[in-house]
Amino acid sequence: MADDGWDRELDELRTRRGLAAAMGGPEKVALQIAKGKRTVRDRIAALLDDGSFREIGSIAGSARYGADGALAGFVPSNMLFGRGAIDGRAVVVSGDDFTVRGGAADAAIHEKIVQAEQLANEYRLPLVRLLDGTGGGGSVRTLETTGYTYVPAMPAWDWVVRNLATVPVVALGLGPIAGLGAARLVSSHYSLLLREQGYMFAAGPAVVAAVGPPVTKEELGGAEMHARIGSVDDLAEDEDDAFAKARRFLSYLPPSIDQLPARQPSGDPPSRCEPELDRIVPRDRRQVYKMRRVLEAVVDAGSLFEIGSQWGRASITALARLDGWPVAVIASDPTHYGGAWTADTAQKLVRFVELAETFHLPVVHLVDIPGFLVGVRAEQAGTLRHGARALASVYQATVPWCTVIVRKAYGVAGAGMSNHSRFRYRCAWPSGDWGSLPVEGGLEAAYKAELAAAPDPVARRRQIEQLLNEARSPFRTAERFLVEELIAPRETRPFLCEFANLAAPLRRTGPSAFGMRP
Amino acid sequence: MAARIIRSTMAGTIARLEVASGAAVAKEQPLLYLEVMKMEIAVEAPAAGRVATVHVAAGDLVDEGQVLFTLEV
Repeated sequence: MADDGWDRELDELRTRRGLAAAMGGPEKVALQIAKGKRTVRDRIAALLDDGSFREIGSIAGSARYGADGALAGFVPSNMLFGRGAIDGRAVVVSGDDFTVRGGAADAAIHEKIVQAEQLANEYRLPLVRLLDGTGGGGSVRTLETTGYTYVPAMPAWDWVVRNLATVPVVALGLGPIAGLGAARLVSSHYSLLLREQGYMFAAGPAVVAAVGPPVTKEELGGAEMHARIGSVDDLAEDEDDAFAKARRFLSYLPPSIDQLPARQPSGDPPSRCEPELDRIVPRDRRQVYKMRRVLEAVVDAGSLFEIGSQWGRASITALARLDGWPVAVIASDPTHYGGAWTADTAQKLVRFVELAETFHLPVVHLVDIPGFLVGVRAEQAGTLRHGARALASVYQATVPWCTVIVRKAYGVAGAGMSNHSRFRYRCAWPSGDWGSLPVEGGLEAAYKAELAAAPDPVARRRQIEQLLNEARSPFRTAERFLVEELIAPRETRPFLCEFANLAAPLRRTGPSAFGMRP
Repeated sequence: MAARIIRSTMAGTIARLEVASGAAVAKEQPLLYLEVMKMEIAVEAPAAGRVATVHVAAGDLVDEGQVLFTLEV
């Protein structure tokens, strides 16, 4: 008998891989495509470098066998994962397959989720989760087939939590996501929802309607809503945009905490000055300016990648490069409450400073903070406790930190620009304006009796204001060495690039003192 | 032509309106100024278009999320 080796088994392997590649079958796949979505396999191909995907568990699923013992049917598991590359760097990718049971998990998938997270952790590789479906228990119908129920436990959660402190984790919400899938989306360093395709909820509209008035998917868990309240970091216009953002985010970070963020060649001279900046801040304190314009002007050309633009808007948070070095940039946005710290701004700052600390990114802070947002609404939002958390994260940070005071720095929130007990690598623009309380807000309270007694209170008020404003000159602060240096705004880029070069050798690998939380 | 609702991202007082209904606007043109934290902050047109409806008047107190304009873009 001729020995044909293992040809039969190799044929079967090909057959089974073919069955798995068919996903939920032609009808379900057509439905997915009709919704304007790619299949999970096409998504993985679009995300990764060409041909780099190496699937793990490629023939896992549920099989049926005929009376003759031959394979009679096969439903692939609806969560794929494997290794691949993004910009030539190894990553782990996992993806839900909505065409199989709407992405709901089953027992086989749980172990795949564990292995995907564990691979990223043990091999110190960035992880990208493509989410589309519930990824959890599915429906109560499961009880009919299993005949028993179970105490809920979170598969892989030990790894999910450890990964937040170990490797960059990106999660892309590319469809309706609920339950366990939702927890996997937000338990990441960078998450987004796809506009008009991505939804997230603890439970969907049908379940919610059973306990209260009916709601639409958009009201309950629309992408715009979640980006506005900061449960995800960003929105994507389409799948290509989502993948581009994932690749871009990872490009600033090391593969894990055991390495440092890599410098990339920059064609932008570190000595470049921007005369435009000398005039960008209006002299009239009531007028604002565009901080994003300042950022574009000072970082390496084309390197600014903003995160979380839709929430916590009083501070802009962005990854960028300075003379090629990746840095974390925080910058006040005076067009949102004058740059005052709101509760959600403080929450965004905590998240961003922890990201910088975890992955060894030096921080650059461009400051224009008139204080905490004041008023009943702001107090009721818990601004002070969230603000104090932001202060704590600033004071816990050990990564190199550089501050440029662009305009205002008032009160406790203003003091949160940096940890003042470290070497203050800091400068201010001549538009600098600082103190415990701005004259405009504090004058009436401080001079109440005197103004009431004055024969002409309006004239007296103007007189006092003028006197106080003279003391407000930044030169008086600098002559006392209470601010380290005043610079021409145009020189900000050289100042920051020098910082980035001096800071680079100070960066240290390893775990930070705290583990990041979602 | 699609209607686009412009909402206030901040609570504040309308310091002044810069456009009336029917006005053609360019992208990033100020539509009104809000007084917030003793500063005047512009609400800008997100895209070029025409102002279909102005939902507020100077002096109004507005809330976060309140509708300010309907824009045809």
